[in-house]
Amino acid sequence: MRYRILTVDDSKTVRCIVRKAFKSFDCDIFEASNGVEGLAIASKETPDVVLLDVTMPVMDGVEMLTKLKADPQLKAIPVVMLTAEGGRDNVLKIAKIGVRDYIVKPFKEDLLIEKLGRIIDLKPLADGPAKNKSILDPCDILVVEDKPVIIQQIQDGLSHLQWKILGLNQLGEAIDLCQRQVPDLIMISLSLPDDGAFKLFRLLRTNLKTKYTPIFALVVKTDAVAQQQAQQMGFSATVTKPIEIADLEAKMAKAMNLDTSPRYFSIDKEFFTMRLPENCSPTVINEVNNHLKTKLAEAVNAGLSRAIIDVQEVKSLNMTIIKLLFQTMQTCRELAMQFSLVGNAQIISECKGFEDTRSWTFFESMTEARAYLSAKNPGNRFDGDVRPMAAAPAAVSA
Amino acid sequence: MPTSACITEASIRDHVTRAIKEVFSTMLSQHVQLVDPAKLAGDKQWPPVTGKQVQHEPYVVGTVGFIGEINGLMYLYLPEKFARFVTSHMLGMSESEVVAEGDEVVNDAIGELTNMTVGVFKTALFDSGLSCRLTIPSILRGTNFSIEPISSADRFIFNFDCAGHRLVADILMKSGE
Repeated sequence: MRYRILTVDDSKTVRCIVRKAFKSFDCDIFEASNGVEGLAIASKETPDVVLLDVTMPVMDGVEMLTKLKADPQLKAIPVVMLTAEGGRDNVLKIAKIGVRDYIVKPFKEDLLIEKLGRIIDLKPLADGPAKNKSILDPCDILVVEDKPVIIQQIQDGLSHLQWKILGLNQLGEAIDLCQRQVPDLIMISLSLPDDGAFKLFRLLRTNLKTKYTPIFALVVKTDAVAQQQAQQMGFSATVTKPIEIADLEAKMAKAMNLDTSPRYFSIDKEFFTMRLPENCSPTVINEVNNHLKTKLAEAVNAGLSRAIIDVQEVKSLNMTIIKLLFQTMQTCRELAMQFSLVGNAQIISECKGFEDTRSWTFFESMTEARAYLSAKNPGNRFDGDVRPMAAAPAAVSA
Repeated sequence: MPTSACITEASIRDHVTRAIKEVFSTMLSQHVQLVDPAKLAGDKQWPPVTGKQVQHEPYVVGTVGFIGEINGLMYLYLPEKFARFVTSHMLGMSESEVVAEGDEVVNDAIGELTNMTVGVFKTALFDSGLSCRLTIPSILRGTNFSIEPISSADRFIFNFDCAGHRLVADILMKSGE
């Protein structure tokens, strides 16, 4: 549900600050410059909450509030007064008319968000942009950890990505940073002194800016009690030390709702390429499987009819990889795509050792595979596995 | 009935300083420092901007009045460049965007800044037993001008430094009816 906020203030500056404060939340902002306009918009749009200034020309906030509360259709709309006059008598006067809350100027944007967040369930717009983000895009990661070596491990392990990983060891610094700019993901070490991790977690979850930010707990593998506690508290995931970087990366990508397919699939003008990484963990195979049919369909839809399956980086075969390769080749056949395999000497050798893969043939480089597929007569319907031409010097044939 | 004479210059200075510090810190995340009056006379970079001194630099002056058991006006003098700086920080815009938007956006921001400052000042007056209401803000712009009070009003002028700029608060006060 998209909430509607009406700000009534004769100052364009204040209305602009209100709009700015809520721009990252899933809500619509309506503006009025005095009480008369405010009542008209309230009747038309029926906002979920009204943020109302007191001193305004034409009709001031107190009069508008009085009229609003006298209207059966509008009286249930919660009103938060925004006033430069913070004296006790003034506050008591507006409280008597029936305001839900009040804010005294000057105010910070965070206070606006906090007060209105108590009335409506503000949700960040993160669902939109995050879904469009890919694993190859920059992300801001905050690691709150009192052991620099752990921060360094995470930074080194994820250095192949464009993620900016900032390590902090003080809760105050972490809170300040999150106020200034919300990271895409936060990791907190449960080893912080005085239950610091849980205190920080609670603070971040009560702050609307970080309410929905993924927060991971960093905990020693053998500390089952702490892991259970983190789970009960509601941490998005638990990462155990020693850290398995591949596992961490997969968890982070999932938590941030990143599209991981660009890591495995690419499309250029002529070829669809599927590339398996060196470490083909079950998580990786699962990710590739999840994207496979969609990506091949996209390629066909884009007019491509040639695919390259690149396993050059894979160190060793196992049954899950073989199953994935079978699945890929079968899907290519179903979509009438010509394909060829590119592998390294180890993989080629291992394939010869299995009955089912003995007949597979590989090129040793992408250039050769591309040249071979390009040379094939595009008019011929593909009828099976691609084999290198006899003239192809680098081809390793079964 | 209380009069402006009930309030000492020191308490007005404290109230104004606290109001300006609070507004600039909350809305702009900027630190403001009251300038020692003894250092003003020889200040060539920022000569006094009120009284009979004519302004040669373009200024934006925000004004808000207070009416009740004590009456008065507060003027906030900002050099135009500082006014653009303040506006850009308040609205989260770049200074070039502020320039592109024109004077109106600066006027509105400085009016609101003055309104907030006088609001905090007014609350301090209320706590001292002087109840009053605020007027809507207005803006004065230009060069080569001076603002003169009528002779029966008390006048208090305080200079502040903020982000390499000079900000002047000029308060005119008179007892209420």
